[in-house]
Amino acid sequence: MKISLNELQSVCRKAFVGMGFTTGHADDAAAMVAWMQSYGLDGLKALTEGLECVVASAVSVRPDVVYQDADLAVVDGQQMSVLSSGNLALELAFAKARIRGLAVIKIRHCRQRQLIMGYMSRLADRGMNVTAFWRHSQAPITEQVVGFRARSAVPSIRVYELADIPEDDMPNDGITILMANHVDLLPTVRSEDEYKLLARHDESDLLAAKQQALEEGLTVDPEIWQQLKSFAAQTLVEASEQSRSGAGPAE
Amino acid sequence: MTVSPSSSLDLGLSLRPPATVMDLERLGAYSPTRLSFARRLTRLMHDQAWRVHCTQFDLDDKGYGAAIYRLQTPAGRYHLVIFSQHLEDAKRTDRVIADGWDLTFGLVEGEVDDALMETLAANVPLQEAGRQHPRLLVISRANKSLRNFEAFVSALAAGQQPDVSYLKGAGYLYRTTAVYGNGKFGIADYDRLKGNPDFYQPFLAQMAAVFVLREFSVEQVEHIARARSSAKAAALTPDIRRYLGIGNSTGLGMAPFLINHPQLISQWVLVRERALAIASAQEPDEGDRARMLALCRRATAYLADTCVDDEAQRLRNEVAHGELSQAIAWLELVPLDIVLWQQLLDWANTQLSLETQELINTLLIELYPEQVDALNDAMGADENLDLTPDMPLIQLKQILETHFDWAINADYDCENARYWFWYQSAEKEEPRLGVRGEELGEDKELALAIGPTAQRVYRDLVNVLQQQPRGLTIDLLMEFPEYMAAIRRIQTMATTAYGEIRANLWHRDMKPMHLLRAKLSFLGAHRFDPRGDRWVRVTFFQGAPLLSDYENHATAPEIFDDWSFPVAPNAEQTEMWK
Repeated sequence: MKISLNELQSVCRKAFVGMGFTTGHADDAAAMVAWMQSYGLDGLKALTEGLECVVASAVSVRPDVVYQDADLAVVDGQQMSVLSSGNLALELAFAKARIRGLAVIKIRHCRQRQLIMGYMSRLADRGMNVTAFWRHSQAPITEQVVGFRARSAVPSIRVYELADIPEDDMPNDGITILMANHVDLLPTVRSEDEYKLLARHDESDLLAAKQQALEEGLTVDPEIWQQLKSFAAQTLVEASEQSRSGAGPAE
Repeated sequence: MTVSPSSSLDLGLSLRPPATVMDLERLGAYSPTRLSFARRLTRLMHDQAWRVHCTQFDLDDKGYGAAIYRLQTPAGRYHLVIFSQHLEDAKRTDRVIADGWDLTFGLVEGEVDDALMETLAANVPLQEAGRQHPRLLVISRANKSLRNFEAFVSALAAGQQPDVSYLKGAGYLYRTTAVYGNGKFGIADYDRLKGNPDFYQPFLAQMAAVFVLREFSVEQVEHIARARSSAKAAALTPDIRRYLGIGNSTGLGMAPFLINHPQLISQWVLVRERALAIASAQEPDEGDRARMLALCRRATAYLADTCVDDEAQRLRNEVAHGELSQAIAWLELVPLDIVLWQQLLDWANTQLSLETQELINTLLIELYPEQVDALNDAMGADENLDLTPDMPLIQLKQILETHFDWAINADYDCENARYWFWYQSAEKEEPRLGVRGEELGEDKELALAIGPTAQRVYRDLVNVLQQQPRGLTIDLLMEFPEYMAAIRRIQTMATTAYGEIRANLWHRDMKPMHLLRAKLSFLGAHRFDPRGDRWVRVTFFQGAPLLSDYENHATAPEIFDDWSFPVAPNAEQTEMWK
């Protein structure tokens, strides 16, 4: 079925509130999913594949800061979705980068990392150069790097597979994010190592996807849509004669 | 105190302060101005020579069927597709929970071929229950004013003109009950309209749909009258046609819009205040004074003409009528002075009701189209509530004390101050008000009341600041993540000229009607006829030009530009522009 972007964001927001997110975090989580979906990056798929994790994450909105100094922070994502507290972690780094020019934040042990792009876009819109890096799998090793230029609506995205496995190949379920207030940090794969480019999204591809979404609407699986609406329905109050009087007089 | 200039546009202007302007009761006394979206549309259509005509009119003798109107602008082509159906009287309700209407319609971007028409016919009549096409910019529905409709058809079928006094209470044949835009039920997102040269401004597409519907309503009654009595049937005279508007019935559903779009509302208010400041700073000559007097007399006649059921509004109109007569006497007697308008406003502000003060402001703005009309271009806003996480807490505290003093110093503990809560009903997700402690749903309260939240933020901020005198906003948020939405809003709104609507939306004395009227006035609605505190009937486009006026090169310019406060045809007319 076809839906509009506004419908997607609105239903997601209510669904997140229904799951237990606070209103501010529900706003942000919905914007992250809708941003991904509107640029053809399957935000809904990322959301629904880990829906149980998102529901479990709803109560945990305070990132656990393991370490921080003026330029650097490490937070523990506690195996929760980035929809839960990714916004605050990124705002922490944003504050540091604004003050110090450059900041790095590592979010350890987090889930649904793709969705972090939705919040990175907001920071880019506020004038920050933002690049995120994470490793998808260990065998073979695949890595993803996402870079937003300051004030740009869309990132450059590269996903690649390394031919050689490094000796230290501890599983990495975190994200490392760099923010620079004044210099570009766009991803350019120049590794000396041999690699295979698995996916590449350039700014023009993403902008075209957004235009198509605005012209034709977004295609969603009716079952997924119904699932989200069921969560959203938890924010609604069952109608009664008393509640009908709360809407004003009938004719 | 006046506001600090928020842009070079405001340098030298004496803008009224937010504490005055953003008071909810004052906002609830607004009348539509020449900057309202309905007025903007009729000027734009004239300036850009839009051409609108009917391309399909397949109605049966009872007026049921489909019609299509083409809107051709210099930049694009649109079609208003209208479906008219029989509706049982028992099913005719203005409530949003209705599932059937006399008319349903949608404004389509581009051409309408058979396939699209089939899709529209299957879905537009269902409204919320349908899945709407992404090329629809607006969908809406309307119900007949049964009394007016039958009176008009009967009179025309008998070869007579209808009694226009019917239109003094309800100035329309049809009343819309919701006009949807921005992606609702699958239609085009507002983001798409932002790139549209005709409808990039908020609500212009909705206004265009309603304006063309008005034309259909006239053609439909004439069609039915002809079907009843083809030999004798008369057509409506142009004067009566112009005096017909389109009604609208609005309930609480509109109220959250004003709270959820604070930047847009602040911008609308700023534009209106700029216009008022510009107008009141003009040095009037006798011609200006004569025009102002003529406008006051027309508004007085309009108030005398207006019949409303609501006793409180009837009294407000009566007071405004009397006070406007005083203002006319004042204007006739005082010596002409270069600061005459400022003297008038100072006098009005001390002597007259809010309703009349804002009415006089509206008329003053009307007087200077050349100076104020360009302000219309600024009625949009980029709506981003952005966080500034590196803002020092001491600065955030100062912002709260400066811009949210009305909120942080209020008492939210007494019973009356926390009387209402807002929630969303399962019935079509309609917003409603419940009494706290008495009604179900408090656990699902909508976070619309920014005042109490701002106070909680302030109190916790003060505590955190004591521990971390050099702390930043992000430090407060790491401790209180639940304040993310509130702090983002506080920081953003402090940068706007007018900020928040200053009201405790929980308070027992809070009137949702003020919220509805504020927005409706910006849209261009008049003849406010409240039904209690939560429901209002209004009229759009009464007195506005007709489509035929746009086709006729001999039409006087004021027909397109000077149709505020319409007075019934055959009533004593004031010559406005001698």
